[in-house]
Amino acid sequence: MSDSESTAADGSEAATPSPAAPDVAPDVAPTRKARRRPDAAAPAEAEGAPTAEPPAQTSSESTVSQGGWGYWGSWGKSILSTATATVATVGQGLTQVIEKAETSLGIPSPTELSAQVEEEEQQGDDSSKTDTLAADGSSTVGSAMGMLSSLSSVVQSTGKTVLSGGLDALEFIGKKTMDVIAEGDPGFKKTKGLMNRNATLSQVLREAKEREELQSAEKESSDCEKRVVAHYGMLFDEFQGLSHLEALEILSRESESKVKSVLMTLSGNELVELRDELDQIKDSFSLVEFDDEDVDESKDEDGTEFEKEVTEALEQLSVSFTADKLSTACKTACSQINDMSQTDKKEDEGEEEARKPVSVEEVHAAAIRSLAELTARSIELFHKLSELILFSSSSADPSVLSQLVVVLCKEVSLLSKKFTTCLAAAGLNEKGDILNPLITGVFLEASNSASYIQDAFQLLMPILEISHIQKRAESTQHKLILFDSMGEGKFNC
Amino acid sequence: MEAIWLYQFRLIVIGDSTVGKSCLIRRFTEGRFAQVSDPTVGVDFFSRLVEIEPGKRIKLQIWDTAGQERFRSITRAYYRNSVGGLLLFDITNRRSFQNVHDWLEEARSHVQPHSIVFLLVGHKCDLEAQRQVSRQEAEKLAGAYGMRYVETSARDAINVEHAFTELTRDIFALVRSGDITIQEGWEGVKSGFVPNVVHSSEEVTKSDRRCLC
Repeated sequence: MSDSESTAADGSEAATPSPAAPDVAPDVAPTRKARRRPDAAAPAEAEGAPTAEPPAQTSSESTVSQGGWGYWGSWGKSILSTATATVATVGQGLTQVIEKAETSLGIPSPTELSAQVEEEEQQGDDSSKTDTLAADGSSTVGSAMGMLSSLSSVVQSTGKTVLSGGLDALEFIGKKTMDVIAEGDPGFKKTKGLMNRNATLSQVLREAKEREELQSAEKESSDCEKRVVAHYGMLFDEFQGLSHLEALEILSRESESKVKSVLMTLSGNELVELRDELDQIKDSFSLVEFDDEDVDESKDEDGTEFEKEVTEALEQLSVSFTADKLSTACKTACSQINDMSQTDKKEDEGEEEARKPVSVEEVHAAAIRSLAELTARSIELFHKLSELILFSSSSADPSVLSQLVVVLCKEVSLLSKKFTTCLAAAGLNEKGDILNPLITGVFLEASNSASYIQDAFQLLMPILEISHIQKRAESTQHKLILFDSMGEGKFNC
Repeated sequence: MEAIWLYQFRLIVIGDSTVGKSCLIRRFTEGRFAQVSDPTVGVDFFSRLVEIEPGKRIKLQIWDTAGQERFRSITRAYYRNSVGGLLLFDITNRRSFQNVHDWLEEARSHVQPHSIVFLLVGHKCDLEAQRQVSRQEAEKLAGAYGMRYVETSARDAINVEHAFTELTRDIFALVRSGDITIQEGWEGVKSGFVPNVVHSSEEVTKSDRRCLC
């Protein structure tokens, strides 16, 4: 926990200021700052930015330790650490994004703001309008901080993939931020960022889906816009992603409490030994590195490569389970892309009348749908794997699982790149303000998909731990005593 | 566009291995019968909308559990968040009928503090010639536990709609009477979305009626 915290902090502190923002002090960590709710104390803290770090850290640490050995209470807390792990990896380089976004939006940095306030206050001393000026100053700061906090949540959920989306992405973030402020929608933060640490992943996604349903219900009743609107959350649920996620969470939670019960019954060397072994499992969960720079767009035209890689991983796990649904989802997406890019080619050759060209909305809808399906199927796979790992005698190697995560995330990234290429082709004649949000929307959901997959993967950790304990117990005398006393005699021993 | 529903009910489908749980659900949700199907691993999910009265739709989220003993300890975890369930046995397999009692006991003990509305389903009723459980004794058993009894066939699509709709209606009546309430942190019953703007006069009168009760 504290490890990932510090990496995140290191990352942002080590980040060099972008050339576009020379005024920003390099040691200010806007990521963390920006995450806070706007309050009057914010500008004061921004002055001594590096020293403002520790409070944030201790507060999250204490929440975790509270979780301790609690039976049910521990669940929400363990998600904290997994969520942080994701943020830590996804969040690398966020500083630059925020800085760029700030400068492109013309938002002053917290340091600038606080300096500004001081200045204003000083001026205010001389004038008769002291009170009004000071009040003005703090309200500027307040609203700017509010903006930053919603900005950071967008950025947080956007992560690496968007970074590769380049300037368009930043433009989108800017727009999105403006929208957020315009709507004054605090719920947005909850939906897009996984920053609400007390919620489980399925809760976050469920809320997003419900909001979308509500929106589309309202839209339907006012039946104005006839556009093709794709809602990621609703589609994700349609593919039963939410249900699988919830079931996976149940398994994960139960396994976690079982692991804790087992650890409680041990002491001395046995405890140390088991702790070490469990730590090794934990390590392979924190090692998942995914860099979408490596994704080669020209590879894997029809999804067979992906199928091969997934099948290989599953074979190594020695579970009798095929990822047919996942492969089908991927192949459908690939053939859609091929179809859509063929229409574009024909259009280029002057056969416009021959076939109606695909609209950008159609491409966008297909992209969101494919991403939602692939993510839902990935989570289904994790859920099924957990069930099989728990109830078969196969020993699952965590490193193979993390390899699987990389394969899945790579595919998400690859699909999003292909779809956006299609989008760009379909929208040649569209204005930038129509096309760009759609393109960045695809990148955004792709990045969200990758985060969901990685977060769901973290849920497998306690499952592998208890599975390891089971296997271990099989070879020692402990097994019957342990499991029978827990009322879990039904394990396949 | 997603149809709008009043409530979402979560149903769990249980019963011995190979009684045809997945086939029944597939017939209901996908409208087809799979000749061959793999045994369910853990739990699978399906959903469908059911119109119980004109304009009143309920979304059913169906948890299809594995009947195999080795998955029993997982499926136990899923009872708690279900408002209703279909308990299946195979009318051509006496053993699966004898196990009905155990299934009910298991469900009842894991559903606490909530309760769950069960429907007893005698499945594979197209195989009349191989019948091992008479309708009378099944009805008697269902009556003893306060359940309805329905005989279905996924292959010939007999009573499949009926089974799910009846159960949904029973639950809906309990929700309307207040015997079952929506609770925070319980997934059994969820409230759906009703549009703010009502288009037709028909729906206006309907929503008025709903307010009265």
